[in-house]
Amino acid sequence: MANGVPAGLLYSKEHEWVKLDGDVATVGITDYAQSSLGDIVYVELPRAGATLTQFGSIGVIESVKAVSDIFTPVGGEVSEVNGGLEADPAAVNRDPYGEGWFYKVKLNDVSQTNELLTPEQYEHLIAGA
Amino acid sequence: MTTDASGTLRRTALHGAHLALGARMVPFGGFEMPVQYSSILKEHDAVRKRAGLFDLSHMGQFTLTGENVGAWAESLTVNKVANMKPGQARYNIFTNERGGAHDDVIFYRLDENRWLLVVNASNADKMWNVVRAAPADGVEMANLHGERALIAIQGPRSVEWLQPYVEAELAPLKYYACAETRVKGVRDAVVIARTGYTGEDGFELFMPSGVATGIWDLLLAENRERGLEPCGLGARDVLRLEAGMPLYGHEMTEEITPLQAGMAWAIKFDKPAFTGKDALVAQRDAGAYPRIVGLTMDGRVPARAGYPVFANGARTGEIRSGSFGPTVGVNVATALVDPAAAADGTVLEVEVRGARHAARVVPLPFYKRPKG
Repeated sequence: MANGVPAGLLYSKEHEWVKLDGDVATVGITDYAQSSLGDIVYVELPRAGATLTQFGSIGVIESVKAVSDIFTPVGGEVSEVNGGLEADPAAVNRDPYGEGWFYKVKLNDVSQTNELLTPEQYEHLIAGA
Repeated sequence: MTTDASGTLRRTALHGAHLALGARMVPFGGFEMPVQYSSILKEHDAVRKRAGLFDLSHMGQFTLTGENVGAWAESLTVNKVANMKPGQARYNIFTNERGGAHDDVIFYRLDENRWLLVVNASNADKMWNVVRAAPADGVEMANLHGERALIAIQGPRSVEWLQPYVEAELAPLKYYACAETRVKGVRDAVVIARTGYTGEDGFELFMPSGVATGIWDLLLAENRERGLEPCGLGARDVLRLEAGMPLYGHEMTEEITPLQAGMAWAIKFDKPAFTGKDALVAQRDAGAYPRIVGLTMDGRVPARAGYPVFANGARTGEIRSGSFGPTVGVNVATALVDPAAAADGTVLEVEVRGARHAARVVPLPFYKRPKG
């Protein structure tokens, strides 16, 4: 599924995906992002309980050569963080939509998801890249 | 090779080959170069376990001809040159009057009066100016940057996978020996040297640009299935860092001297005179100079060039190079630190995005290839 864009998710211009389950959003980065970044060696994520502002810089993802900021596609309180990435950052490359998830957020305002892209819009974005 | 008046990037003779192999290209030293083809970690692993093929044609190549090359070169560098025998290569450093480094280089003595000097890509123009600024009788210089290509094969399978394609007997060729030989089907002579920048066994091949793609394709054709991988500059940097090799601009600069960089072994103080000798003697005798050390991070956050380093809460230096080291399984780095913080085993802290992370000083290299 090279650069295939899964249905049922929302996307950000910064190449993150959002899976909505009521008012809880799971966040990760897309296959396009993991491919561009290359081998991931470290991910720095917010702590559970932290309050995030939509589109704020909230962590970093490090590849072998470079450090990239993570901009959260959604704001609210972090309810859960993927602790498995500490020991296995390569999960982000292997399975960006599954095992490679980053964190979950209890949205402070569900309507903020209107700012995100549909799968079609995201596919259009990366096609032009 | 293409350049244009607007100063856009040059390309090596192998540019098309890189694109055909799916390389991601980046600017380096004024050239468009492959940073990776598949993944840095896969390419790195190929070199450590099997062999990798590198295009290094962006590096500067000068020919030096004449009976006075050895003495002339000795006056401009830290190491001895005149006593090199034909068929020998040697690492050296050109210095400035303050003892700092213009570049680290390799001299290859092809015969009595014919030499090849290879300089870093990022310093090719500077080094051409440096050598031309010191003209001497009995030394003719030519800048072949862009006219000559350089392909390296590095890894434990290098002898086995290169031998079928070259006339020279590779197994007996000593480390840092060089020779002129022929590649199967290629009329022009090539220079081959048992040198490299990965910490593995391997060879560098210097050839006219016109025959580079033929040689590159030949080496990959049958060997690709055996496990030879094209490798980019990304893997090259991680390999050399693990092997404790300096990268100009990081561990050595116009300010950071060879002495500070841990290259005292290359400095021959018994030479009567060379550029920067007085400054290096003074630095050596004073003793208390900041120096390059190897660090391993205790945790999973990598250290990166520029991050501040602390000893007992006080600023003591900065990271010069840093990466995850796949062979050693930890984050490795070099740092320029005060002498009091430089002893092996010293616990230091590296500041990463405002938080301090423990690191310890370890001897270089981080990785040494197994003997045999």
